[in-house]
Amino acid sequence: MIRHLFTLIWNKKRSQALLLVEILASFLVLFAVMSLLVFKVGNYLSPIGYQYQNRWAVTLDWGSLPDSLADPIRQRLKQRALAYPEVQAASFSSGNTPFANATSNGEHHWNGKVINSFHFWTDDDFARTMDIPVLEGRWFNRSDAAVTIEPIVITQTLRQQVFGSENVIGRILVADDDPKSKSRIIGVVGNYKRAGEYEENSPGTFYRYQRDRWQNTLVLRVRPGTDARFEARLIKDFGNIAKEWSFAVNYMADQREAKQNQEVIQIATFLILITFLLINVALGLFGVLNVSIARRRGEIGLRRALGATEGSISWQFVGEMWVLATFALVLGLLLAGQFPLLNVFDLDAGVYLVAMGVSVVVIYLLVTLCAVFPSRQAAMVQPAVALHEE
Amino acid sequence: MLTNYIKIAWKVLLRHPFYTFITLFGISLTLTVLMVLTSFIDHLIGVHYPETKRNRSLYMMQLGIIDSTKNSRNQSSLSYKFLKQFVLPLQTPEKIAIVSDRMTTNSYVGSKRLRLGLKFTDAAFWEITDFAFVAGKPYRQPNVTNGDNVAVISESFRDDYFGKEAAVVGKSIEVDNTRYRVLGVVKSVPDTQLFTSADVYLPYTVPKSNYLTDSYLGMFQVIMLARDSQNMAAIEQEYKEVISRIPVPFVDNGFKAYHLETDAKTYFDTFANTQAGGPDIATFLTLVVLFALMFMLLPALNLVNLNVGRSMERASEIGIRKAFGAPITTLLGQFIIENLFITLLGGLLALGLSWIIITLINQSGWIAHLDMTINLTVLIVSTLLTLIFGVLSGIIPAWRMAKLSIADALKS
Repeated sequence: MIRHLFTLIWNKKRSQALLLVEILASFLVLFAVMSLLVFKVGNYLSPIGYQYQNRWAVTLDWGSLPDSLADPIRQRLKQRALAYPEVQAASFSSGNTPFANATSNGEHHWNGKVINSFHFWTDDDFARTMDIPVLEGRWFNRSDAAVTIEPIVITQTLRQQVFGSENVIGRILVADDDPKSKSRIIGVVGNYKRAGEYEENSPGTFYRYQRDRWQNTLVLRVRPGTDARFEARLIKDFGNIAKEWSFAVNYMADQREAKQNQEVIQIATFLILITFLLINVALGLFGVLNVSIARRRGEIGLRRALGATEGSISWQFVGEMWVLATFALVLGLLLAGQFPLLNVFDLDAGVYLVAMGVSVVVIYLLVTLCAVFPSRQAAMVQPAVALHEE
Repeated sequence: MLTNYIKIAWKVLLRHPFYTFITLFGISLTLTVLMVLTSFIDHLIGVHYPETKRNRSLYMMQLGIIDSTKNSRNQSSLSYKFLKQFVLPLQTPEKIAIVSDRMTTNSYVGSKRLRLGLKFTDAAFWEITDFAFVAGKPYRQPNVTNGDNVAVISESFRDDYFGKEAAVVGKSIEVDNTRYRVLGVVKSVPDTQLFTSADVYLPYTVPKSNYLTDSYLGMFQVIMLARDSQNMAAIEQEYKEVISRIPVPFVDNGFKAYHLETDAKTYFDTFANTQAGGPDIATFLTLVVLFALMFMLLPALNLVNLNVGRSMERASEIGIRKAFGAPITTLLGQFIIENLFITLLGGLLALGLSWIIITLINQSGWIAHLDMTINLTVLIVSTLLTLIFGVLSGIIPAWRMAKLSIADALKS
């Protein structure tokens, strides 16, 4: 039976070729969008690693004042903030706080391995302020001030990429351009997805706050229910302590929502486009099948006259579409298979495989859906009527 | 002849409403997507409120300073120090305006908190741009020279801070712990306008701006107005010469710089270069065109398949015309024109749909104060896209139909 279908398709290869190209193109587009979706959904399922509700990021701008002179004032601001009952914890951080647009990254070297990692500069209170659980070792504390090798805390992802399950506490990493700049791992935290839920879980490294560095963001954990009235008072107080400075407060929950909206808009746009394309293709296939069945009434009538059942006629047309779709999908999978093989875009091979699977299923569903109705109609053909026309 | 072809096409459309629906659905939705995209790109890089003189303006957005090995670079907006030394003295431009990056800060009204974008500008900024003043007027040179605490605010900020339609000129606002007297209210600018969008505009000389820094890297950008389009090349040339005379190496904030990277460019180029990686405008447009073609490919293939399948419907007509001596090219021409007619019909539908979608996007608040439109540029590009789509989807079926042999065609 299947060999017969192959022959039927082969005999009409010229007109079937375009149909095949169309199914192939649909598959490739679907595969591209599905890869993105699977990637994003996969990211979404992995936890973000910290709390953002009731966290405020206060950006400080001290203009042309040298960083070293700014530090004592920064410390006074932090003490002032902590003096309020509304503020439960406070910590300094570099500007790349969660959901902020700033990023900073660099490379670590260890035993010939090179790992790109996001860098964060934070003080001793950051893990407490953001509720980041420390899985191994410890977070920074006062005792780190005196050490010669810079202490760092790394994320679980970085740890797994470099060391697997080996013990990491106390190991020494070397920074990218300067072999003299060494750092010692003192702790491991879980996930830390700075751009929100949809971000890939990438390696991250925390460095300890230092006086002459430019940690210009004060992160606050405020009591639930604290509102803008308190914020206004706080900023007024800050303005009295640091006269010429500028302050901007961001609520992390708001920033997250903005980021989230961007992602959702992006995903929704792709979904709308792909849905439109698929509906379009489905309607087109439907039309093509309708036309071709109308043209093959003679053939159908003959088969019916020779005793073919309604079921076997329907099955023939659906089967033909399946064979055609299979041809297209084999070609498509050969092309799509290059993505995991060549490691394009650095995505996990699993993402591509799932995307391929989903796309194959969707294409078969689509093809079947388009074939069922016209083939049912074909099956209704009365042999007498069809052959009479001929 | 043409009217005949179109009449025939119209009859063919009416004969099978279902196929007509499929065809028009595909064409119009494909073109709608591309038209909305065109409108958005036009919104980003075309001439729009308040920068109506963009066609004869040059922009400076960033300055890069690079070390001897070209491995390490610092890049940022320009500082007032740099501008005063090298940009403001330029002779060729008609006018030079400086405007800072958009800073975000908050303002408090009772228990409400307003997030706002802040820009520090000079007085020329108001002359180079065409802001629509809802009330009051801009600050002028004397205000800037004195460093007066005065402000121009946007309509939407006024509504949030004082209440809708309030008369506010002469009243004061408190932003970042400082009070400013409101001089004027302007129609809000969409967030996508990199150089002009803000909620509060202040003279760059107010104490809070911290504009007197020691580095070449700072927070200012420049808009330069040329007398005419020929003048633009002269400005670019003069600026290049000025930059080439800056002695290198120099030390900037502890960074030893050997090369300077800065250009006065059109908005088009400036925009493309701010995007990550910085492709030039040619690459950017090639990518957009490629995307448009790729996107059209699938619906076009779809139409091709449907039309090839339906070509037998017209067999008797083709057979008779051929028997009476119509050459292949005439038939080919006829079918392509028919297809173009249908595509244009779809294009018209798409235009209506695009207008609805654009209005919806503008109102959705996805980008604050967005004002996408269908203007002449968008219309021209859309027509072009429609024609391309028509030819792309029409040529193969037309060829198949025109080539049908007489015997086959007449047999049925």
